[in-house]
Amino acid sequence: MHISEGLLPAKVCIGGYAIASVITWYSLRRIEQQPNPTAGIPKAALLTAAFFVASSIRIPIPPASLHLVLNGMLGAILADYAFPAILVGLLFQAVMFGHGGLTTLGVNATMMGVPAILAARLFQMRHFAAKYIGVRPSNSVFAFVAGAGGLGITALIFFGITVMGITADIDAGAEQKAISALMISHLPLMVIEGIFTTLLVNFLARVKPEIL
Amino acid sequence: MDEYAYLESPIHRWDTRCKMIGLTTLIFAFATVNSFPLILPMLAISAIIYFVSKLPLLFLFHRLRYPSLFVLGLVVVLPFISGTTIIGQIGYLTVRQEGCFAMLLITSRFVAIMTLCLVMFSTSSVLTTIKALRDCGISPILADLIFLSYRYLFEIGHQFKTMEMALRLRGFQPRHINQRNLSVLASLAGTLLVRSYEQSEQVYQAMRLRGYGGNTGRGDSRISPTYPGILGSTKSFTRDWFSLVLMILCLIISVIFIGVAVS
Repeated sequence: MHISEGLLPAKVCIGGYAIASVITWYSLRRIEQQPNPTAGIPKAALLTAAFFVASSIRIPIPPASLHLVLNGMLGAILADYAFPAILVGLLFQAVMFGHGGLTTLGVNATMMGVPAILAARLFQMRHFAAKYIGVRPSNSVFAFVAGAGGLGITALIFFGITVMGITADIDAGAEQKAISALMISHLPLMVIEGIFTTLLVNFLARVKPEIL
Repeated sequence: MDEYAYLESPIHRWDTRCKMIGLTTLIFAFATVNSFPLILPMLAISAIIYFVSKLPLLFLFHRLRYPSLFVLGLVVVLPFISGTTIIGQIGYLTVRQEGCFAMLLITSRFVAIMTLCLVMFSTSSVLTTIKALRDCGISPILADLIFLSYRYLFEIGHQFKTMEMALRLRGFQPRHINQRNLSVLASLAGTLLVRSYEQSEQVYQAMRLRGYGGNTGRGDSRISPTYPGILGSTKSFTRDWFSLVLMILCLIISVIFIGVAVS
């Protein structure tokens, strides 16, 4: 789910960079305020690389297969490092595979990063819910919501920008219908992303709980 | 990414900092192109720069192959849904002028910008590019993140391939989606994250022993304001006239493109 080079007008690309710059500045500021910011850099870098590789896992949905976005999970694990990590991951994808692009890097980072931050905040609420429903159910519920919600918000921004941003000559009613249809077609994918994130969180909670 | 970084060409000799500033400005100027007369000059400039860089044509075709499919999938419907001026009919579908123009414009911008991106990142080594980014003022935290992610990307990718192969050798070949298959794939991703996390702690300890962090050494582990990052940073700008002239030329072309696009 990347917006390629040339698709968007320059105004939208610059707007994307402006939003991404502000969020990156804020994230870096928060990282610098940590007691030991350099300790987190290798961890964030290796987990960025691991997420980059893990997103290449293909989920078979006959007759095709799909790749997971995992931005909700990335936000939940990397917290303040999530947005810079997404920016770096997208830069690599643009440079190495041509997925996304340099002019659309800001838009793509905002599209993936903002839902990741929101998903991370949502996932943190599991501690509160754990008092009432127990740790494991709370982890599962909030992991599902973070995973599905992360992809859902990303898809909404992606389709909104793609349908409205490519050309101004499309009828507004048709645009709205197209976005609604594309979002409905993405609901099963959101459910799959949510289930996968739940299974992943349960695995990490069993094997290496300190990651969460 | 470093496959063609050591060829001999004027673009390879171009100072990486000047190259990044010049080509990035040109790329953004191309993103502003919205009129028919600018399409041909834009494609011609990209083609000339690519030709001068001596990068193989097959490399360009290979790199454009998959992203082009995605872009074509999106723009191919534009002539039928965008615009009001009807210029023809294909079966039940009406072909519209504005949609055809939008398709041509987007495809041309895509090819021109992708070509320049390829030149920018393939004519210098990754290390030199990250250093140039650092010299151009990006945060040392971000530069370290890019450098270390790139350093471990291939290693983690190799680990992933090994784990995937081990799964296949044990007979795991998911053909459809069910809870067991998803659970195995989630464990695969989870194992990768756990291994990376554990490795990152060892990497950090090893880096600390080599003086990583730029702290004051008095028990204060905050990042020093003068911390240069892993790769360091050069304050002085290049005095290579060839590089400066090329950069200024790119800036002038960019101003012309933006000026024409805005007017």
